[in-house]
Parts: sequence; C-alpha cells; structure tokens
Amino acid sequence: MPAKKLKEHRAADSVVRFENVGMRYGTGPEVLRDLSFSLEPASFHFLTGPSGAGKSSLLKLLYLARLPSRGLITLFGRDVATIPRADMPELRRQVGVVFQDFRLLNHLSVFDNVALPLRITGLREATARKHVVELLTWVGLADSLDARPPTLSGGQQQRVAIARAVISRPSLLLADEPTGNVDDAIAVRLLYLFEELNRLGTTVVIATHNNALVSRFDRPHMRLESGSMTFQEPAAAAPSVKTNSVDSPSSQTTSESSVDPNSADSMNG
Amino acid sequence: MLRLFAGRFDLPLSRDPSTKLLPWIVGLMVYLATLALAGALLLSGLLNDWNQGLSGKITVQVMPLGDETVEETRARVTEAVRTLLKTPGVAEAKPIPLAEIAAMLEPWLGAAAQVMELPLPRLIDVTLEEDRSPDFDALSQRLAETVPGSTLDDHQFWRGQLVKLVTSLEILAALVVGLVAVAAVAVVIFATRGGLAVHREIIEVLHLIGARDEYVADQFQRHAWRNCLRGGGVGGLFGVATLVGLRKLGEQLDPALLPTIEVEIWQWGTLALVPIIASLIAMWTARRTVMRALSRMV
Repeated sequence: MPAKKLKEHRAADSVVRFENVGMRYGTGPEVLRDLSFSLEPASFHFLTGPSGAGKSSLLKLLYLARLPSRGLITLFGRDVATIPRADMPELRRQVGVVFQDFRLLNHLSVFDNVALPLRITGLREATARKHVVELLTWVGLADSLDARPPTLSGGQQQRVAIARAVISRPSLLLADEPTGNVDDAIAVRLLYLFEELNRLGTTVVIATHNNALVSRFDRPHMRLESGSMTFQEPAAAAPSVKTNSVDSPSSQTTSESSVDPNSADSMNG
Repeated sequence: MLRLFAGRFDLPLSRDPSTKLLPWIVGLMVYLATLALAGALLLSGLLNDWNQGLSGKITVQVMPLGDETVEETRARVTEAVRTLLKTPGVAEAKPIPLAEIAAMLEPWLGAAAQVMELPLPRLIDVTLEEDRSPDFDALSQRLAETVPGSTLDDHQFWRGQLVKLVTSLEILAALVVGLVAVAAVAVVIFATRGGLAVHREIIEVLHLIGARDEYVADQFQRHAWRNCLRGGGVGGLFGVATLVGLRKLGEQLDPALLPTIEVEIWQWGTLALVPIIASLIAMWTARRTVMRALSRMV
C-alpha cells in the first residue's frame, strides 16, 4: 500500500517517537508502561482516558518537564535523554503547552503573559505587541489585555493559557484539558483555533475528558488506561477499532497492548 | 535581551520580603566599608606625609654638658654644624634657634623667660643630599668624637614604629573591607536563594516555555544590581557625610594634636566607587547563584 510506505518513510522524522517508554515518580509504581507510538508532523490527536490514567504524565514527558524512567523518547528527531541542558530551551520553544492549571503568571497582565514566549526569544516588542493583541482579540480577550489573571474567570484564564501556548506557532501543541472550564460554544471555538494551527503544520495533542468534543471533531485519539495506550481511529473512518486492546492493569506486562500508530494512521490515509 | 527589554521583570522580585531587606543591609555594609576604606586611605596619606617630611632629614641633638653655659653649648653646636657640613651627602645643617626649641617645650615648661636659661638640648636640622646619604654610623661616631654629648637621630626608630602601627591599621581596615564584602556576598546569596525558592513555580513555567537560564539569571542580577545600588548609594552618602562631619570636628581641635588631614579628589572618587563595586559584586553573585541553582533543575 503506497500510503503505508509513505508513512513509514516519514516515521524517521516524526515529531514525537516513543519506544517502550515507562515512567514512574520516584520509587512509586509505573504510571506509564511500555508506550510505543509516534506522532507525525501536522497530525491531530485527542488523548483520552479516565483521570489518573497518566495523561498528564505523558504530556509532561512530551513537554520535557520529566524524563522517562526507561525507554526512548525522540522529540523532533532528537533523543531527549541525550539533549544537553543548554539545548533544552530551543526544543521547548517548539512545544506549546496549555497546562491543566494554566500556570499563568499572576502578577503579569494578560498581555504580558501571552507576550512571554515571544519575549524570551528576544522578539522586537512592537512585533510582539501586534501578534499578542491580534491573538487575544481572536480568543475574545481584547478587553482584558491589562487585567491580571486572578481577576479573570476560569474560562478566561484558560483562553489566556491557550493564547500563550500558541502565540509562538509551536511545532507541537500540547493541551491538558483545554476546554475544561469553558462552555461548549467557546470550547468549539478554541478547538477551531487548534485546528487552524494544525492546518498550518502544528502537531496537536489534546488531552480531554470531553467525549462530546472528541466525537464532534472526529480525529484519531489515543486512549490511555492504567498507563497503557491504545489508538482509536475517527469514528467515521473506522468505527470502534482496537477496542480489544484496552487491557486490564494486571495484563500490562508487555508492549503488545500498545498499538503501532503507523498502521492506524495508514488506515486513516 | 538585556538591551531589548531592559527594565522588564517577569518575576515579581521587588515584592520579596528577603530582597526588600537587601538594600538596608547592603547600605549598612557600604557605610562600614566606606569608613574603613577612608581610614585606610587617610592613614596611608599620613604615612606618606611623614615619610616625605622625614626622609632626607636627620636631626642632631647636642646635649649641654655639666655646668656648661649657653654660650659654650652654642660653640659646640657650631662645631657640630661644621663637622656635618664637611660630611659628603649633607646638603644643609641648620641649628634650630633656642627660641624655637623653647616654643616647642612651652606646653610643658611654660612661656617664662627663664626657660631659655635652662640647659636645653640643642637641635640641628640636617638636610641630606637627594641622591646620596652619608654613612650614618661613621657620621655618628665622628660627631661623638668631635662634639661630646651629641647624638644623631635619623628618625628610623620612630619612623619604623609609626610605619608598623599604620601598616597594621591599614591591614585592619582592608580586613574590615574584605569581611564586609564577604558578608555582602553571603547576604546576596541568601536573598537570591530565597527568591529562587519563592518563585520556583514561575521559573519552572519560564523554563517550560523555553526561557534560558540566562534569561532568568538576568532578572535576578538586574534586581540585585538595582537594589544594592540603591541601598549602597545611601550607605555611601552617609559614609561620606560622616567623614565630612569628622573632618569638621577635627578642624575645631588643636592642630597640634591631629595632623592635618587632606582628602584628595581621587580619594573621594575611590570612596564613591564603593557602592558601585558592591553592586557589581552583588550582581555577579546573584547571577552565579541563579545559574548554579538552575543547572540543578530539569
């Protein structure tokens, strides 16, 4: 199948590649087990699973806040375990993150929060200003440029966090429950923003509980359960695939439970 | 980065309680350092003055012998002067008039005319040639032979004692300046570490969005620089004010008790540098502290 061949060929320059990755906090049990998958450039995935399944831990690995306990993670073609500390910022600048708890800087204005990723790269203030105002207008916060995050509602803060994550047009966008605090209308609007970025070439991973949203946008999704992952194709293309691979924790001793995303993707293509 | 966004702080450092204390402590330390340094500068100036005043000069003292009359003593003084002038290396030998000697002794003996009749030792002020000095031992011996009761004082003893004293005081002052600097560095380290701990979460966010360690360190170092310059500037001003006050006080005292102290322009300049140097040290310390701490973070 030519489509499959193409995918395999591109796997070498995947944005993200996990090989038998396991992760534990301290000496605790593994919260992630034998994860093997790769994310292609400009792909769009939902990451679902019950709370405590390891979604946030997986995202931490992806935004380089943690290193895996075992296995190999390649980000933009580089093995994260061997990246010198000095090279980390450059890599992190290509990753936009919407944290679950936003992690906005409360003493800075909305404008300054969103401008931060541009400022740390030394972008000219005038240029930064234009981009930031434009984006904040888009997410409906044009009137709150000078507000401090604590004075905003949860939904507004979330939008600030999203704006900060996307302002520098990252190659990889990770969002942890980015629509948890907003009503459906805004959630959809925000997802359009992510789709727009995705169309421009950003690889997007959105961790969410919102099944309605997942089915509405009809994108492939990765399902984490008890530290292991299964890939699910969009309902329209391949309804309910791989349901058998959602294993119980006791049987998660090998990597077989993880589905190679390449094969799943090829079905999509 | 520093040029583009000078003055911008992403960390709310100015609200830290620990860094609020910093200007005060640094101010106090700069004040102490300024005084100690001023002391050292004045002492070395004083020593210089003494050296200049005394080097190239020796004094010959002619003691009156037994029942000798004033006239007889004067004759022996003349003899000593003649001997001195014959010695190679001696440029000038001038007996100090008796009246002047009496004036020097006035604080002890009073101003009565009878003082002149006392068997006072006579002094000869000897100026040496600049490029060669006589053999003091030989000269001393010759004088003793030709003019009994005369002694030669080349001020070496006194000078040695004074130099020793002043040098010790200078070392002490330098030690005080050094200790103050060490203490200031320690304070800056503590304040910076406090700031790092307080703002750990913000620093983590900055890191995660791709800020380099230098970007974070830059904020701390600028903050330390400004804080210390503020506190140190005030401390330095107080130091200078104290010195001016002491000088005014000194001027009211009997000039015989205190040597005249002249503070030269370059010395004021050196004192003005104290807060600036302190702030530079603080800045460098803050940077090192942050860079070291951050290198241990992921």
